[in-house]
Amino acid sequence: MTELLNVRNISGGYQKSKPVLHDVSFTVKPGEMVGLIGLNGAGKSTTIKHILGLMEPHDGEVRLLGKTMAEDKNDYRQNLAYIPETPLLYDEMTLWEHLELTAMAYGLSETDFKERADNLLKEFRMTKMTHWFPSHFSKGMRQKVMIMSAFLIKPSIYIADEPFVGLDPIGIKSFLDRMITLREEGCGILMSTHILATAEKYCDRFLFLHQGKIILQGTLAELQEQANMPGSDLDDIYVEVTKEDRHV
Amino acid sequence: MSNVIKLWEKRRGDYWTMAVKYLRLIGNSGFLFTIYLLFVFGSYYYGQFLQWLPETFPSVLFFTLVFTWLSTRGRVRTFMKQGDLIFLTPIEGKLGGYIRSSIKYSWMMETFWLSLSLLLLAPLFFDRINEAGSSLIVILILLSTLKLWNLATSFQEQRILDKTQYLNHTFMRFGLNAVAVYALFSHQSIWLIGAIGILFTIFYIGYYRKFARMYSLKWERLVEIENQTVMTFYRIANSFTDVPSLKSKVKFRRWLNPVYKMVGFNSDKVYHYIFARSFMRSNDYFGIFIRLTFIGGLFLSIVEIDWGRWFIAVLFAYMTALQIETLKNHYDTSQMIELYPVKTDNKFKGHQFWMAVLGTLQSVVFSIVAVISYGLMDGFIILILSLGVYVYQVQVRLLKKYETS
Repeated sequence: MTELLNVRNISGGYQKSKPVLHDVSFTVKPGEMVGLIGLNGAGKSTTIKHILGLMEPHDGEVRLLGKTMAEDKNDYRQNLAYIPETPLLYDEMTLWEHLELTAMAYGLSETDFKERADNLLKEFRMTKMTHWFPSHFSKGMRQKVMIMSAFLIKPSIYIADEPFVGLDPIGIKSFLDRMITLREEGCGILMSTHILATAEKYCDRFLFLHQGKIILQGTLAELQEQANMPGSDLDDIYVEVTKEDRHV
Repeated sequence: MSNVIKLWEKRRGDYWTMAVKYLRLIGNSGFLFTIYLLFVFGSYYYGQFLQWLPETFPSVLFFTLVFTWLSTRGRVRTFMKQGDLIFLTPIEGKLGGYIRSSIKYSWMMETFWLSLSLLLLAPLFFDRINEAGSSLIVILILLSTLKLWNLATSFQEQRILDKTQYLNHTFMRFGLNAVAVYALFSHQSIWLIGAIGILFTIFYIGYYRKFARMYSLKWERLVEIENQTVMTFYRIANSFTDVPSLKSKVKFRRWLNPVYKMVGFNSDKVYHYIFARSFMRSNDYFGIFIRLTFIGGLFLSIVEIDWGRWFIAVLFAYMTALQIETLKNHYDTSQMIELYPVKTDNKFKGHQFWMAVLGTLQSVVFSIVAVISYGLMDGFIILILSLGVYVYQVQVRLLKKYETS
């Protein structure tokens, strides 16, 4: 078992008669940051929901550290952290309580929790807001709560859906710096994003998802070769391979 | 121009379709019967009350206060929505028809409330101020006119951005209203009342109308007024039926923070942790618990028949337990909690724990009330009865709820 995440021939969606994903396969290995790229409605969020086990595939399977969700639900979820596209917070809990709840749910010790939480609050410049309720947070601050919760539990794999939306420049930098450190420590990261310039700079490999299918995948060099566009950047390749669609 | 009026009419239509649905539910909930009963008993006690009320009661002052408040409160309802901040702002200058419709509508509604209040106070009016029915009707017509003036001025007033200035204008209106309303109820001469009317009109034209030229509409304030109106309606409807769109505010209640210490830092206690916070802070679960405990305790101290008290203890414990039970569905729309690697069994345990704690607390309160009012033995019976209800709820009913879903 060399992969952290193995998505094998997944077909799925909300209705069996209208599958959104068609035969999607990819892997994320330890120490790898993979960019999941696609237009609005390409199936990125559906893919992520299948990985999280919030939806069951019609065909194929998702394995995390070699196990499927059906084998042991808690063990499976213990190993992943999810940063959603829209922050999902509890209105009745403070920032600190969100972190504490997350730490409890993922079985951290109290001393570990306090140490990590304090560091994260400092790094994301949220110490002042420790005991605030979400109703007083801006969009970016809410996103930071999700990011801090994910970093707090130190899982083997991170699933991030558009993590930069609403973050200030320092927030984005802290987030990416952390991601790089985690990658060096052997974590796997799957990140969906529209900001291709950032993806190009940080991700090791890319998955181009288009109308529920993976149309290209590989490193930048491999993508350039497959698309026959040597020297082009990610943006150009992306625009080119999805082009014919827009004339229809 | 006609498009804006059509938009306004559509919005009013939408609101009333929604409102009528809720009103029908309220009507079906036995509310009308309660009103009827209140009316029957009310009219009897009203007569007695008027006889008891001392001759020195300052009726004119009382009417002046009530109707000054009624005249000043209430703003023009515009049916504005959040989205209008983007989509309607470009045609702000062409909204004349829309605003006029809003003022007319608000005038109608407010006149309805004025008539209702005056009707309720009519016996007092006839008894103490003037026996003639025509006098009451003339006053109603003049009050309604004053209301129109208030709506028109308060609409211009909302254009003032500065909050203190805005409030100062409202206070000023209150003062002017007080003078006018006092003149009406103290039966001043037609000439004086006419003079006040003319002065008010001149004041509006000379002072308030300028605002329309000087300041823009304050859209956020209009949306806020609209939301408040809708929320008030929802809140009233919510006491009869369940209103899904009622997003209740979270109340922090920091003084309850020590309670949370009952739950230690432990991965088995995730649901203990979150249930406590949801119960104390959101959806007013806590408020309902306190109210039911208070009313239950009050009844226990008043009712003198033994079995009546026992019945009340069981009834209130049961009603409270049902409220605490609804916490189960509190996180149905939350995705994060689904992702936590926690046994689902823990959710039941957390819920059970808090129901037991709250149930014990309530039972103890009930029994203390009973001990004080009717002696030790009665307190003991009440304690056993209400605890019994909670034991059943916690051990049998709640378990069933969790097993069937």
